[in-house]
Amino acid sequence: MRALCWNGVNDLRVETVSDPEIINPSDVILKVRLSTTCGSDLHLIDGLIPTMREGDVLGHEFMGEIVDVGREVTKVKRGDRVVVPSFISCGKCWYCQHDLYSLCDTTHPKPELQEPLLGYPTAGIYAYSHAFGGYSGAHAEYVRVPFADTDCFLVPDGVADDAALFISDAAPTGFMGADFCNIHQGDVIAVWGCGGVGLMAQQGAMILGAERVIAIDKYPERLAQAEAFGAIPLDFTKVDVIEALQELTGGRGPDACIDAVGMEADGTGVQKVYDGVKQALHLETDRGAALRQAMLAVRKGGTLSILGVYGVMDKFPLGLIMNKGITVRTAQQHGQAYVDRLLEYTQRGELTPAALATHRFSLEDSPKGYHMFKHKEDGCLRSVFVP
Amino acid sequence: MSDVESDANLEADAHASITIGKPAADLHALWLRPETQSRIWAHFADVRVVGDRTAEWVAKGPAGGEYRWQTLTKANSPNELSWSTLDKADVANQGVLTMRPAPGDRGTELYLDVRFDPPGGIVGKAISKMFHIVPREIVRTALYRFRALALTGEIARTDPQPAGRNGGTDH
Ligand SMILES: NC(=O)c1ccc[n+]([C@@H]2O[C@H](COP(=O)([O-])OP(=O)(O)OC[C@H]3O[C@@H](n4cnc5c(N)ncnc54)[C@H](O)[C@@H]3O)[C@@H](O)[C@H]2O)c1
Ligand SMILES: [Zn+2]
Ligand SMILES: [Zn+2]
Repeated sequence: MRALCWNGVNDLRVETVSDPEIINPSDVILKVRLSTTCGSDLHLIDGLIPTMREGDVLGHEFMGEIVDVGREVTKVKRGDRVVVPSFISCGKCWYCQHDLYSLCDTTHPKPELQEPLLGYPTAGIYAYSHAFGGYSGAHAEYVRVPFADTDCFLVPDGVADDAALFISDAAPTGFMGADFCNIHQGDVIAVWGCGGVGLMAQQGAMILGAERVIAIDKYPERLAQAEAFGAIPLDFTKVDVIEALQELTGGRGPDACIDAVGMEADGTGVQKVYDGVKQALHLETDRGAALRQAMLAVRKGGTLSILGVYGVMDKFPLGLIMNKGITVRTAQQHGQAYVDRLLEYTQRGELTPAALATHRFSLEDSPKGYHMFKHKEDGCLRSVFVP
Repeated sequence: MSDVESDANLEADAHASITIGKPAADLHALWLRPETQSRIWAHFADVRVVGDRTAEWVAKGPAGGEYRWQTLTKANSPNELSWSTLDKADVANQGVLTMRPAPGDRGTELYLDVRFDPPGGIVGKAISKMFHIVPREIVRTALYRFRALALTGEIARTDPQPAGRNGGTDH
């Protein structure tokens, strides 16, 4: 089959590889109907995440049709149209049973690679380096999905492919970020980043009852989409974000701040130069401009919900968190805990993930799709691939 | 690498613990099932059952080296299993698996101690050279795999799978 392979920093190629096959009895094989780019892929493409290998098939956000099932699969069947969260979860371990699916205790094929970094291995994830399991990805004609009964969610009629697609990763991640904010009546939520994840966090916060949602980014078309969703847009290159947030909250500051940016954050001024130099010298792989700003902006005793992906950050202003009594909530997405609910919101038109699908490419043109997505050309919010 | 880590690499003794949400009796029975041993040690050795509670191990070293031994496993009590190598082992070793109830609803805690006694008393550093894997990793990964098997009936694997290398497949 054809598949998009990572061959080094900024080197993506569509190649002919073998078809996936059923390995374990709970596996299914999915014929991919759609897959998409994610901000997390940019960390791989930029070479910020180690343990990638040349030839790794990329893609962790996808939906498709089941074409083959392992002998232990009982809940889903051939022909089902399903969406699959990006983390692979067994549904049987303590973590899965406590809705902490991305921390699943059994789905990492190479725990010895990750345990030294984190203390304990996490769940495996599709196409996100070998330290995260080394599973082959979904920018391909077919993909193998382990633990299909737990990880394949039937897409109901009335939810189109290009909406269901984002319920794999961007929507559950964003929604989880809003859920972390424990939103009460009157709460104001500020979201850094208006990519797929940030926009879904904004809609999620509205669904969960936020009084007001403020969206921060610099790309006009992304800010316009946030505004269309009902958020108040703030361009961080045009206003002083901290001042603007105080202005919008009567000086209190947002009750919760969500970071949907991660380690490719754009800074302004001195911090930007400093972070850029450090990154170039490999002194540290994080540039935490958005995160630092969110910590400063959030009200005393507020919540900081971190969705952006970070490496090992050696300069982190812990004193802000401590002295302000901030609650930090963060995780890789626990998608399986949210997918059914998000499909319902989508069916009712309260969540509109299809708005992220701004650009469509054949799988053959996926390197071009990544280029546009990475450089945000032509208002590209997400590139969608059709195998 | 930190001093602590390089010290650990020198160890010929390896210890690891893990918690599994199942009763000890189930885990005891699963450990003794013939195919279990070959599955949980696959990152380290080919294990083949050759008789009642005896198994033949072949561990691969770098550059095509092979080390062989046979083990005899004993059930010392409902909460303890152990094995040791029979005569003529290339690398003599012994292991003890102890089980205790975990607090709350968390199931059973497993403690695994393995000691390698290479010929001529070579220290542990040589063990990681011989096998290309440090003893601590050997046992931690085995317990991880055992937990997966106990909870899900399978062990996470990615081979064979599509990849743009080795002619299109990872084995
Ligand atoms: N926790 C998870 O499970 C999970 C899942 C998916 C993605 N992620 C992470 O979420 C982050 C966002 O993903 P995405 O797909 O939306 O990426 P994206 O690249 O499409 O969007 C990131 C946005 O952040 C904006 N941005 C950059 N610097 C900023 C700043 N200083 N202030 C405000 N906005 C700024 C960019 O302009 C861009 O629009 C990434 O770090 C990604 O790795 C996490
Ligand atoms: Zn993602
Ligand atoms: Zn699990």
